Amino acid sequence: MRNLASLLFAGGLAFLLLAIASQLAFGTPSMRVGAEILAVAPDEVGAANLVTAVLLGYRGIDTLGELAILFAAATAAGVVLGRRHANARRDPPGGEVLRTGADLLFPLLLVVGLYVIAHGHLTPGGGFQGGVILAAAFFVIILAQPTRHLRHSLISWIEGLAGAAFILIGLWALVEDGDFLAPLLGQGAMGELLSAGTLPLLSLAIGLKVGAELAGIMAHIAEAEAPDA
Amino acid sequence: MIADMTLSRLLAADVGYLVLPVVLPLLGAFLMQPLARVSARGARILGPLLLVLSAGITAQLWLQLGDAPFSLAIGGFAAPLGILFYADRIALLFALAIPVFALLFWPEFGPGAGGRDQAARRDALMLLLVAAATGLALSGDLFNIYVFYELAAVASFGLVALTGTGRSQVATFRYLMISAFGSVFALLGIAILYMQTGTLNLAQIAQLAPETLPNPIGLAAFALMLIGFGVKAELFPVNTWVPEVYAGAPARVSALLAGLVSKLAVLVVVRLLVLIFPQPEAAELMLVLGVLGILTGELAAWRAKDFPRMLAFSSIGQLGMVFVAFAISGEIGLLAGLAVMLHHLIVKSALFGLAVRWSGSLEALSGAAGVSPLASALFVLFALSLIGVPPLPGFWAKILVLIGLAEGGTPLDMMALMALLLATAIEASYLFRVAIRLYEDTPTPVPPPARRDLGVAALLGALLLAVTVGLKPVADRLGEDAAQLGERALYIQTALPSHVARKD
Amino acid sequence: MMSFTFETVVLIGALGLAVIGALGMVISNHLFRMLLALAIAESGANLLIVLTGFRAGGVAPILGAGDPAASMVDPIPQVLVLTAIVIGVGVQALAVALLIKVYQAYGTLDVRELRDRMDADVAAAAGVEADASQDAPAGGRPLSPAPSRGTAGFGRRSPAPADGLRP
Repeated sequence: MRNLASLLFAGGLAFLLLAIASQLAFGTPSMRVGAEILAVAPDEVGAANLVTAVLLGYRGIDTLGELAILFAAATAAGVVLGRRHANARRDPPGGEVLRTGADLLFPLLLVVGLYVIAHGHLTPGGGFQGGVILAAAFFVIILAQPTRHLRHSLISWIEGLAGAAFILIGLWALVEDGDFLAPLLGQGAMGELLSAGTLPLLSLAIGLKVGAELAGIMAHIAEAEAPDA
Repeated sequence: MIADMTLSRLLAADVGYLVLPVVLPLLGAFLMQPLARVSARGARILGPLLLVLSAGITAQLWLQLGDAPFSLAIGGFAAPLGILFYADRIALLFALAIPVFALLFWPEFGPGAGGRDQAARRDALMLLLVAAATGLALSGDLFNIYVFYELAAVASFGLVALTGTGRSQVATFRYLMISAFGSVFALLGIAILYMQTGTLNLAQIAQLAPETLPNPIGLAAFALMLIGFGVKAELFPVNTWVPEVYAGAPARVSALLAGLVSKLAVLVVVRLLVLIFPQPEAAELMLVLGVLGILTGELAAWRAKDFPRMLAFSSIGQLGMVFVAFAISGEIGLLAGLAVMLHHLIVKSALFGLAVRWSGSLEALSGAAGVSPLASALFVLFALSLIGVPPLPGFWAKILVLIGLAEGGTPLDMMALMALLLATAIEASYLFRVAIRLYEDTPTPVPPPARRDLGVAALLGALLLAVTVGLKPVADRLGEDAAQLGERALYIQTALPSHVARKD
Repeated sequence: MMSFTFETVVLIGALGLAVIGALGMVISNHLFRMLLALAIAESGANLLIVLTGFRAGGVAPILGAGDPAASMVDPIPQVLVLTAIVIGVGVQALAVALLIKVYQAYGTLDVRELRDRMDADVAAAAGVEADASQDAPAGGRPLSPAPSRGTAGFGRRSPAPADGLRP
């Protein structure tokens, strides 16, 4: 009975969506705002990667909200998982090969992550993507050596200060320019590493925050994994 | 010199400071945990301090800029390209009410049971919820609204899970699943709207809506977004999380979620309805779902056996009434909707405040009046207003809805009217049952509400009585609010001044 | 009527993913499978968002990367989808954290078993503590006024010991 109702629901939803899809102007978007942004963004923001220009410029407050959501999820995960009991059982560490491999990968992942963050305004990438790669470096360590623990205090300092840095850059623009998160510092030469004003700084703040956030969630989950003795 | 300039700018409220009530709580939330490691006391006062500051900034802006709506292009990127905040009277009213209610229902000003870390996380989540709610009230960009809506959702998951029991974790998980299910719908709706119009700015979509959206596609997009944003507004098919969550969450969190956050979700839906989807089918869909919410909510409340669940189900019913009211076309619908919404905000928050200590079964409450006469008297006051007994504001709100429905006069309106009368009878039956039980003669072990919750409830009760006495000015003001809320052209002109000029 | 070009196939794929995911969330009886279905539904919605910016023959909106003469695709949906993905990741991580705790408390993630265990817990709690506030069978199903642990200062009292719910 319940399955029948669910199937009816899904069938109805599929029919509705397909009926809509058949009428959508797909493949020839109106690009009302998009075209305008493509035209003015190179001059207004000065980032070669126009997706980053929209992400950190035109829709900067969205990005701040997004950071806040990730932070809220990490904080809520902390609330749910709480502190580990001191005498809880721990997973055994991985073998020699795994640990050596993890140690080898760790610095490489850090470098790649930082590179992706630093070039976010020029090439595909940016704070979120690079931050995830940074977090992955810590995931590798946690998975290979479950007995080693990340320091939660350090993580909370990094995520707190990086998030605050993003907002403070925005507030600086508010005081200086009258607009929260308005681009500052001049645009520089398009396509160079030091260009596009405050965008690379914002990218860096995002990258550190995302990396700390995800590494923190992973550390919490890994510590909660072993059931209490 | 620079400090001097900063100070003078701070004193002369600039429109640009409209972002601060959203941004400052976020800043506080980010810094809460590191600060708690340095100074536990500093972390404890940081939250309330920022709330007072946010409320002050909003109030000053409102006083200085007056009642005419204004908009703010964030980052200096002019409207359709960037994101804008739109502040009309109702948005400012909520932007002011959010920090105030958050202060009233702030978790204990002490560390609480979970230790320093847990207290810092709790306060950070509260600030995130405040920032998200304020953003929902102010934002004038569809996707930005979605982001703040999700932020409110994730922050409330953490707050609901604070109780830490297995049962509350299961409830939180279900809440999360239903909420995420709604988010998928909302995203689909937003994608369809974007495909049709090529913009996310509410004002610009409103401008384009008459050409691009009065068709099945527009209606489908509205339905998808109604389901999506309806999750927090306790709309009928996606409200199954409500009873378990409100019963399992700390009562003050329930007060904020049922009282405040649900109203902001409603406000989002109303903006969509007024600006983008003026077609009658959209309102009819909302009316039907609202009626179903009223009937199911009130019937379940009648059957409920414990106090928080009764309040939760009654809140579903009341929000159903809010949706019915907003579905009425014309200004009277908006006025009725605002009246019911603000009335429920005051009454249900206060009742959940009483539920902090009265969390057990209804039977256990018998004779509670002997222990705490003030709390019982307040319960009776709020119950009378909820039912809609004449001099109280609840009566006025309900009458407005009934008049609006009678004026509408379609068979659907008549059905809603009957449902509303029936629901009033059911409401009266279960609320009186509890009131009588409170005044029974049996001695009872039920603890009296804590002094602080009692104080908050008494404050809100006094507010309710004040409105009763001064109903005329309040009604007039609310009428102007409703008129402003319903003016599509004004919204477009305020949000996109350059655009309107360019078009002419 | 639509013809089956490459574009329509992709579009139908996106909507199909959303429908499959939504259906999975409704009919699963296992909490983790519900979460997987959510991930599928979210990817469907995300795919649809990216597709709203699709432009036949367009290139990535990055200056100096591709053919400057070719028209660029709309950058906004790409930003939206980045935001939506990050939001999805956060929500799913939180869901996993909740599931770990639920599993530790009840030893199962099957919806029906979970319901039985929760009912049994309530009954046991009512049997042990004949407290007045514990006898609350609401709406036909026994529901307790959640014995609380570590309410972290929201003012609810904590009558039950911390591990009262652990099996």
